[in-house]
Amino acid sequence: MLKKLMTATAMIAVSATAAFAHASLETTEAPVGSAYKAVIRVPHGCEGKPTIAVRVQIPEGVIAAKPMPKPGWTVEKVKGPYEKSYDYHGTPTTEGVKEIVWKGGNLADDEYDEFVFRAFLTDSLPVGKLLHVPVVQECPDGAAERWIEIPAEGQSGDDLEYPAPAIRLLEKKSDH
Amino acid sequence: MPLVLSQRLVRLVGLAALALIGLLAQIAVAWAHASLISTDPRDGAVVAAAPSTYSLTFSEPVSPLSLKLVRPDGASTPLDRFEVKDRTVEIAAPADLAQGTHVLSWRVTSADGHPVGGSVVFSIGAATAVPLSTGEQIDWVVRAGVLSSKLALYLGLFVGIGGAFASRWLLGGVRTGRRAVAAALGVGLLGIFLSLGFQGLDALDERLTRINEFAVWSTAMATSLGRTAAIAIMGFTLAAAALLARGWTSRISSLAALLCVGAALSLSGHVATAEPQWLMRTAVFLHAIAIAYWVGALVPLGLALKRGDPAAAAALRRFSATIPYVVLVLVAAGVVLAVVQVREPGALVGTAYGNVLIVKLLLVAGLFLLAAFNRWHLTVPALAGGATATYRLIRSIAAETVIVLLILTVAACWRFTPPPRTLAAMAARPATEHIHTDRAMALIEVLPGRAGPVDISINILTGEYAALDAKEVTLVLSKPDSGIEPFRRAAVRDDETNWRIDQAALPLPGTWHVRVEILVSDFEKVRLDGEIGIEP
Repeated sequence: MLKKLMTATAMIAVSATAAFAHASLETTEAPVGSAYKAVIRVPHGCEGKPTIAVRVQIPEGVIAAKPMPKPGWTVEKVKGPYEKSYDYHGTPTTEGVKEIVWKGGNLADDEYDEFVFRAFLTDSLPVGKLLHVPVVQECPDGAAERWIEIPAEGQSGDDLEYPAPAIRLLEKKSDH
Repeated sequence: MPLVLSQRLVRLVGLAALALIGLLAQIAVAWAHASLISTDPRDGAVVAAAPSTYSLTFSEPVSPLSLKLVRPDGASTPLDRFEVKDRTVEIAAPADLAQGTHVLSWRVTSADGHPVGGSVVFSIGAATAVPLSTGEQIDWVVRAGVLSSKLALYLGLFVGIGGAFASRWLLGGVRTGRRAVAAALGVGLLGIFLSLGFQGLDALDERLTRINEFAVWSTAMATSLGRTAAIAIMGFTLAAAALLARGWTSRISSLAALLCVGAALSLSGHVATAEPQWLMRTAVFLHAIAIAYWVGALVPLGLALKRGDPAAAAALRRFSATIPYVVLVLVAAGVVLAVVQVREPGALVGTAYGNVLIVKLLLVAGLFLLAAFNRWHLTVPALAGGATATYRLIRSIAAETVIVLLILTVAACWRFTPPPRTLAAMAARPATEHIHTDRAMALIEVLPGRAGPVDISINILTGEYAALDAKEVTLVLSKPDSGIEPFRRAAVRDDETNWRIDQAALPLPGTWHVRVEILVSDFEKVRLDGEIGIEP
């Protein structure tokens, strides 16, 4: 048993460092029908090159996205229509930010940074499933790291080289 | 009591550990791999001399699990001597490397414990071009059977049918030589049946013991030899009828038989697949008829001269008056055939087909010398009634016949030598793979479809066959059965739907795993997996 415990501890230690290698989200679970604060962790550049832009695609069903400004970076909000109308605290919403771009900065390969936005997870999202949030890191000379791969049926993010960060969707909080 | 307590405690701790593992499984989604940043030699590089060390630099510290070098011949050498310096793995290279394409196949694990692999493909001197080989096992019994039956068929067509024609048209229907000609027809008939049997065995790659099976014969009939057999049998029948009949009927019949010789041979063989078909088939038709005319005349003429047949002198006169034109046709048609099949002079020496042609041409040159000597030195005195000249002419005709048999034997060898034309086509044949999913489809074409330096083209469409405006297309190649870990090659856009990768190297023949990664938009990537067969 002690052995098992030690293995478990070792695994915690390993996973803590491992999580730095993929672009990922800090909070990996969230209930639908509520606001979500997304913290995108960017662990490294593109094969040695610094990151000069970070782009996030806001998935369908996620509305009212608002980026947190970041010193040294300009924020761009690409707006567009949603596929359908969503109820946002009683207001029907049909369009909004579909992509957030932080650019103009320079994040060296051997440095770490976080990019934050806030959005509302509508209750039309499938509870129990994973919501994938594709992230692209852009580097000089057209290089890019694209964390956009979505596992196919029966696959896990582990099988992919560049998995998109994901959130496990939980039941809507009833006391709200 | 303390014992029970401690057992409970153990169980509790166990549960806690399990719960932790469960929690970790959740986090595991974010697990990561080390990525390769740079290599020396560079992936895809052609280096002048074998490097003494290789190095792989990763995004984080790694420890190698397996490092090996796959050589141009497919042999794999483990690379045991390496040193890890921070994020770089320095590997001592084997000293005894030949020229050609090598694959440094690596598998490492980083802090996350997740193994990752990849390959660095590099060539020393130049990318390997494997020489063409059929690589098949040769069944010599079947091969000898194919060869001798083919020779028997030639004897029947040229000596038999040609002889029947000569005895009807040149010798005016005398009985001399009839038996020899009839025997040749019999040999030819036997030859065509055996040819079919051996052709079937050869086509099915079967042993002689299966010659009694129906499948062997039906397969042979289904090949182009089936048509040749039908026409040849018709020719043999017509020639036999000509030998039995008299007067004009027999002449017409033997002429029809002679035309069958041309038709039979122009319907099969390498020429049946050569372009332009009308030219090639016409050339073979004329070549064969000219041979039958010449070769067919030798036996009846020689025998008639030997027996002092009164018809011999007239026949000899007719023959020597017509033969220059026949030879002209023979040579002209032969030149056309050789030019189309051999393509370039170098192939005469460099290919088996060309070698056979050289031997044949040498024999033909000997035959022409002998024939010229006969015509200009012996024919006139023999016609004048000179006994010595007649005797020497008979001897010389016999020698001509022997050379003709040798030429026919050599020509039969072509059955086993693909002409340079088809070798060139084989070398240029691409390997293709079509992958179709709901999201997208890709047609991958590797040219040539052989191990060595290749150009790859990728045609990309949506799952509904519409144009797919991809931003990037990348091909990931691996060959797990040879221990070659995946390596990536970025494609460049040719036009709306076509992408290509120039000068990639596929170092080994066999089944390669291919994955096409299509970047549809900045945030959407489609992966298509398939397999492609690469010839040696």
